[in-house]
Amino acid sequence: MGKRVLVVDDDPDVRVFNTTVLEENGYSPEEAVNGEEALQAIRAAPPDLVMLDVLMPRQSGIRLYRTLKTDPALKAVKIILLSGIARASFLKSQQALTEFGGQPVPEPEFYLEKPVDAEVLAAAVKKAIG
Amino acid sequence: MTRLLVIDDEPDLLRVLARTLAADGHEVATALSGPEGLAAFDAAPAAIVITDIKMPGMDGIEVLKRVKERAPEAEVIIVTGHGDVDLAVEALHFGASDFIAKPFRTETLAIALRRAEEKIEIRRRLAEYTLDLESRVAAATAELRRRSNFLANLIRSSNDGIVATDESLTIVVFNPEAERILGYPQQDVLHRRRLVDLLPAELADFFRGAMQAACSGRECPWMEADLTAADGRRVPVRFSGSVLVEGERKAGAVAFFQDMREIRRLQRELVRTERLAAIGQTVAGLAHGIKNILHGLKGGSYLLDLGFARGDDQKLRKGWDMIKRSVERTSNLVMDLLSYSKEREPELAVCSPNAIADEVCDLVRERAAQGGVELLRELDPAVGTVCMDPQTIHTCLLNLVSNALDACLWDEPGAKRWRVIVRTALEPGHRLRVEVVDNGSGMTDEVKAKLFTSFFSTKGHQGTGLGLLVTRKLVEEHGGTIEVRSALGQGTTFTMRLPFRPECPAPPEGDRKAKGD
Repeated sequence: MGKRVLVVDDDPDVRVFNTTVLEENGYSPEEAVNGEEALQAIRAAPPDLVMLDVLMPRQSGIRLYRTLKTDPALKAVKIILLSGIARASFLKSQQALTEFGGQPVPEPEFYLEKPVDAEVLAAAVKKAIG
Repeated sequence: MTRLLVIDDEPDLLRVLARTLAADGHEVATALSGPEGLAAFDAAPAAIVITDIKMPGMDGIEVLKRVKERAPEAEVIIVTGHGDVDLAVEALHFGASDFIAKPFRTETLAIALRRAEEKIEIRRRLAEYTLDLESRVAAATAELRRRSNFLANLIRSSNDGIVATDESLTIVVFNPEAERILGYPQQDVLHRRRLVDLLPAELADFFRGAMQAACSGRECPWMEADLTAADGRRVPVRFSGSVLVEGERKAGAVAFFQDMREIRRLQRELVRTERLAAIGQTVAGLAHGIKNILHGLKGGSYLLDLGFARGDDQKLRKGWDMIKRSVERTSNLVMDLLSYSKEREPELAVCSPNAIADEVCDLVRERAAQGGVELLRELDPAVGTVCMDPQTIHTCLLNLVSNALDACLWDEPGAKRWRVIVRTALEPGHRLRVEVVDNGSGMTDEVKAKLFTSFFSTKGHQGTGLGLLVTRKLVEEHGGTIEVRSALGQGTTFTMRLPFRPECPAPPEGDRKAKGD
């Protein structure tokens, strides 16, 4: 059994692509279709890595990232952000939320902008969790 | 002091009379005969002449006639002897002011004189009064002319077309702007045409109705209308009119209208400019949509590679499905972009907006059910069939209903029971109102501000960001309006108002043929 990776994306094609890449590289992928479902799954059994989309219904990746990074029990979970949104836009949103009274959150370790090649995706996962 | 001339052939009587009158404060001249008296009158005209009737040479009647010839305003008192009554009557006939009979008392003469003086005074006042009246009439006429010129000028130089009519609605005023807008020279319409000939049926009915005695409606408020120009073209105008009332009577009607052609042209230009600007901004927003699609394509080809390498049919099928979906999304995006940047004239046809709303609801029913969103229809049966562009209603309504569903599906989970209402209704002035109401996530002010102005999507991979832009463009091309009310967390209402015609005009013969070719 490989390391557990939770793929969070509302786009079914993206989930199929990502999970296939993960399986091909020996990981055990799981899926969630929005931030809310993902949070339940993570609280139930924290995975080794969350591969997180940014724009999703029912809690966006921006919110989920904050929730995870400000929860002492969950902040160690590794996260790879994978989005069509530019890294700069994501950082700007986080900064705005911090300014509106939120706790500061660290910048993401791994941020990939779609489209991503299978090899690049696999390399990023390997770098994050080995 | 009145100047008197006394004429008598008896020197004694003359002297006594002159002295008495002078003592009463009159300025008195005397003469012993008619000719002498007339010579004295010519030298210095007297206001009152007192003359004996019987004199040798020229008698008093003759003196009277000649004095009146010289000065009709002079008063002549005739002095008569016994048996001269007939002569006295004749004297009155020739304009004598009075006569006194010899022998007379001084008082009698004084009374006659006073009466003559009064007559002179009355005549003087009358003359003064008449003069005053004449000058006042002249002044009033001049003022009236000035005002009338001013009004005529005002009407002539107005930037509004102004047409006024008499009580039979026959045109009596047709200003130069009306000439310019409608293309009729003034002389072709004044007293020849009726206002109702120039108006669309609705407005013509208003004026005909308003002119009826029993009807109290007199004002037609500003509205948009099409007038028919001399060459048969329709001219879009802002129009207002009212019935002119004089006391109880309806005296005529007046119509004001403003040419909207230039404004319409500028509006079209503005919309086009805005659209081009939006397409510019779109490139940035588009990038996000395209990145997502490219990611899907990469995923598809990755799965196909795996499938081919291993002869794995399942991977091949999954990969091929991904490719197909990505192609579909690309196609949607490109088509939206094209339909947004392309100008299109609405294609009017007889259609039933309620039936179109039903179709749209059927299209999204499954998605609504899956997301736990109740889909309600409140379609007013009075809408019936109208002449509009059915494609515009369909596309716009589908866009708005999809948005409303998304607003519910993307809403924060909670105790809410999500619902989307599609509502149709008629509004005055031949307008169809279509409302799409949801109780979903609502919008922040920031989102609301960006709604129509730029490429913008909050929907991640699903939205092209062009839906509302396309909707607004179609609505505007149809001459309608679209507005939005939204409260964060409570929901959003989009309201479209689209003009329609009660009946479709038959296409001109040439058109039909051209289409047939």
